[in-house]
Amino acid sequence: MTVLVGYIPTPEGAAALDRAIAEARSRSAKLVVVNASRGDVFVDDRFVQSDGVEALRKRLDGEDVAYELFQPIGGHDSADEVLDAAEQHGAELIVIGLRRRTPVGKLIMGSTAQRILLQAECAVLAVKAAK
Amino acid sequence: MNKLASRLKGRAELGLAALLGAVGVIVILDAASLTVPYSQADPVGPKTMPFIIGGLLLVCAVLLAINVLRGGQGEAEGGEDVDLSHPSDWRTVLPLVGAFVLNILLIDTVGWVISGALLFWGSAWALGSRRYVRDAIIAVVLSLGTFYGFYLGLGINLPAGLLQGVL
Amino acid sequence: METFDLLMQGFSTAATPMNLLYAFIGVLLGTAVGVLPGIGPAMAVALLLPVTYALEPTSAFIMFAGIYYGGMFGGSTTSILLNTPGESATVITAIEGHKMAKAGRAAQALATAAIGSFVAGTIGTALLVAFTPMVVDFAVSLGSPSYLAIMVLALLAVTAVLGASKLRGFASLGLGLAIGLVGADKITGQQRLVFGQPLLVDGLDIVVVAVAIFAVGEALWIAAHLRRKPLSTIPVGRPWMGKQDWKRSWKPWLRGTAYGYPFGALPAGGAEVPTFLSYVTEKKLSKHPEEFGHGAIEGVAGPEAANNASAAGTLTPMLALGLPTNATAAVMLAAFTQYGIQPGPLLFDSEPELVWALIASLFIGNTLLLLINLPLAPVWAKLLQIPRPYLYAGILFFATLGAYAVNLQAFDLVLLLVLGALGFAMRRFGLPVLPLILGVILGPRVEEELRQSLQLSAGDPAGLFSEPIAVGTYILVALVLLLPLAISAFKRFRPQPQGVPAGAESRDEVSAAEARQGATVASGPRETIAGEYQQQHDHKEKP
Repeated sequence: MTVLVGYIPTPEGAAALDRAIAEARSRSAKLVVVNASRGDVFVDDRFVQSDGVEALRKRLDGEDVAYELFQPIGGHDSADEVLDAAEQHGAELIVIGLRRRTPVGKLIMGSTAQRILLQAECAVLAVKAAK
Repeated sequence: MNKLASRLKGRAELGLAALLGAVGVIVILDAASLTVPYSQADPVGPKTMPFIIGGLLLVCAVLLAINVLRGGQGEAEGGEDVDLSHPSDWRTVLPLVGAFVLNILLIDTVGWVISGALLFWGSAWALGSRRYVRDAIIAVVLSLGTFYGFYLGLGINLPAGLLQGVL
Repeated sequence: METFDLLMQGFSTAATPMNLLYAFIGVLLGTAVGVLPGIGPAMAVALLLPVTYALEPTSAFIMFAGIYYGGMFGGSTTSILLNTPGESATVITAIEGHKMAKAGRAAQALATAAIGSFVAGTIGTALLVAFTPMVVDFAVSLGSPSYLAIMVLALLAVTAVLGASKLRGFASLGLGLAIGLVGADKITGQQRLVFGQPLLVDGLDIVVVAVAIFAVGEALWIAAHLRRKPLSTIPVGRPWMGKQDWKRSWKPWLRGTAYGYPFGALPAGGAEVPTFLSYVTEKKLSKHPEEFGHGAIEGVAGPEAANNASAAGTLTPMLALGLPTNATAAVMLAAFTQYGIQPGPLLFDSEPELVWALIASLFIGNTLLLLINLPLAPVWAKLLQIPRPYLYAGILFFATLGAYAVNLQAFDLVLLLVLGALGFAMRRFGLPVLPLILGVILGPRVEEELRQSLQLSAGDPAGLFSEPIAVGTYILVALVLLLPLAISAFKRFRPQPQGVPAGAESRDEVSAAEARQGATVASGPRETIAGEYQQQHDHKEKP
C-alpha cells in the first residue's frame, strides 16, 4: 500500500505533505514523495535543492512512516512524473496541493493538478494551503 | 596501458592541431601563389603577413600536437548554464545543426518567414521543448515580426519567397 | 575647460528624446543579458550589429554602451542570488555576495553591488573624460612604427596573459589573423585566401565572424552541455541598505574604483585581477575580517566597484587608440568599422559629436541602471524562468537573421555555420575566443601599419624601431613574453616560502607579483581566496 504526494516547496505543497503523512500513518502505508522538474529552465523554484532536501528528509525521518523521495528531472511535466510514479508504486492515493487560480490564469497556464485529477487511476486528494 | 588510454583520449585534440596545421599550409601556399612585382612603394608586399601568420599557425600546430601527446589538455569552457560533468550531447547538437542547415537550403526559395519559423521551431524541438503548438505560435510570431521589423525599421527586405505578394 | 564644453555638448546630443530612448533600451537589454544565463554583453552587441544598417552611429553606440554597462549590473544579480558567476569578473562578487544572500542579506548585497557599480561607473567615466584626451594628444604624435608596436603589444598581451594556456591562446590568435587575411589586399588588390569564390573577395564580414563565434558557437556549446538540474533563486525583496552597511561600503567602493580603472585601461588588464586585488585589500583592511567567507559586505562592495570601473577603463584605449581589450569592446569596434569610422586618436577630431555623446551617455546610462536595478531586482530574477529551448533557439534565430541581413546571401549562413563550428571546437578544446576576434579586427590594421612603416624606411627593418615609443613598446613586448618564463624558472629553483605572515611583504610587491601572474600568489590568510579564485578564474568572459 502506498500513498503518493506531489511535493513542491510552497504552502500548498507543505499542506499536501502534512496531509499525506497523516494518511500514510492511518493506513500504515508507505509514503512516496515526488518532487519533479522538467529541467528546461535555469531556475526552478519548485525543485527542492540540496539543503531543502536535507530538511525534508529530516522532517520525514521524524515521522514514523516509511518513505521514499524521488526527484526526477526528465524533461516531462510534473503531472506525468506524478502519474508515472503512482502507477509504478501501485499507489492507492495521490495527494496534491491546490492553488487558487482565476479561470483565465488556468486557461493560459494549464494545470498540473487538473491533469492529475483527470488522468489518475486511483483516488486523488486535493488539499488547499492553510490560511 | 594507462599511457595509451590517455593518448587515445587526447586524439580529438590532435584533430585541432591538424586543423591548425592545414590552415597554416593553406595560408602559406596561397601566399606563395601570388605574383607581385617588387614595388618601391610597398616593399613589404601582400605576401609577408601571410607567411608570418602561416608560420605562427604551423608552429602552434606542432607545439599543440606535442603538448597533447604529452598529456596536455585544453580546459573546456565553463559557464553559468554549462554542466561539464557529462560529455557532449550530440543528440541535441546534431538536430540543431540540422535545423540550421535546413534554413540555409530553404531561405532563398521559401523565404525568411517560413524558413525562420522552421529554424526556431526545429531548434526549440532539438533543445527538448515538446509543446509543439506553443512553439509554433512563437516561431511564426518571431519570424513575421522580424520580417516586418527589418522592412519597416531597418529598410531591409528579407526574402518573402513563397509568400511573395501575401506579405 | 575645453573638455568640459565638449562633454556638455555631448550631453545635449545624448539627452535628445530619441537618444535617451536608445540609452534606455540599451540598459534594459544589457541588464537582461547580464541576468540571463548563456548571453553576455559581447553576444548581445554582436546580435544587434544589424541595427547599424539603419540607426545613425550616435544612437547605435549609445545603445551599445548601455548594454555594456548594463551587463555588468545584471551579472552581479545572478552571482549574488544564484552563485553562478557567468563571467570571471563576477566570480569574486559571488564569494561573499552569495553567502550574504544565504544569510538573509540578499537585499543589502544587491544594494551595495548596484550602488557601488553606479559610484564606480560614474567615477570611472569621469576618469575616462579626464584621461582620454591626454592619451589622444599623445597618440596623435605617434607614427606608424609606434602604432604597429602598440598593436603588437595589445595582441600579445591578450594572448599571453589571459587564459590558462598560452599555446592555445596563440593558436586562436593565428586563426583570427588568418581569417582577417581573406579578401583582396588593400594596396595591391591581390586576392588572398579567396579560392576563386567571388563572395569572398570583399573579405569575411566582421558581423558574420562575431555572430558566429560569440552567438552560434556559444549556443551550440551550451546545447551540448545543458545543465539539467535546475537551481533555485534566493527570494529577495527590494534592495536596501542600513546605515551600518553604507558606512562599511563607501570606502571599498572608492578603493575598488581605484583598482579597476587602470587595469581596465591596460591591454590584457581585464577585470579579474582588480576584483581579486580589491577583495584581498578589503579583507585585510576590514574591521570585521572574521565575516569574510561568511558574507562580508565589503567583499561585495569593493570587487563590484572594481568590475565596473574596469569597464570604464576599457573604453579609454578603445576610444583613444582603437584598441579593444575585451570581447565587448572588440565587438563595439567591429560596429565602428561597419560605419566606416576608423577608431583611434583621429576619432576625437573627426567625430567629436559621436565620441562625446557616447561618453555623456555613459553617465546617463549609469544613472538609469541604478534607477531600474534597485527597485526591480526581483523582477529581473524572474527572467531566469524563461525556458531554455526558447532562449537558445532565439539566439540561433537572431544570429541567423543578423548574418543573413548583411548581404542577403545564403552563403553567409554557410560561413556562419562553419565559423560557429570553429567557435564550438575552440570552447571544447580550451582555445580562448578573445585572441581570435582581436586577430580578425587588428590583423589587417597591423599589416597596414607594418607596410607603411617599411615604406617610409624603403624596406629597411630598422624603420620599425625608428621611434622611441616603438622601441620602448617592443621592450614591453619582450617582457610580457619572457617574464612568465623567468618567473616559472625562478620558482622551480626556489620553492614557495611557507607560512609567511600576512603583511611581511610590502603591499606593492605583492600586488605586482599577483598582477603579473594573473594572481597566483597564495600565502598566509590569502590562501583560501586565492585557491577559490584559482579554481574559478579560468571561466572566460561571458560572450
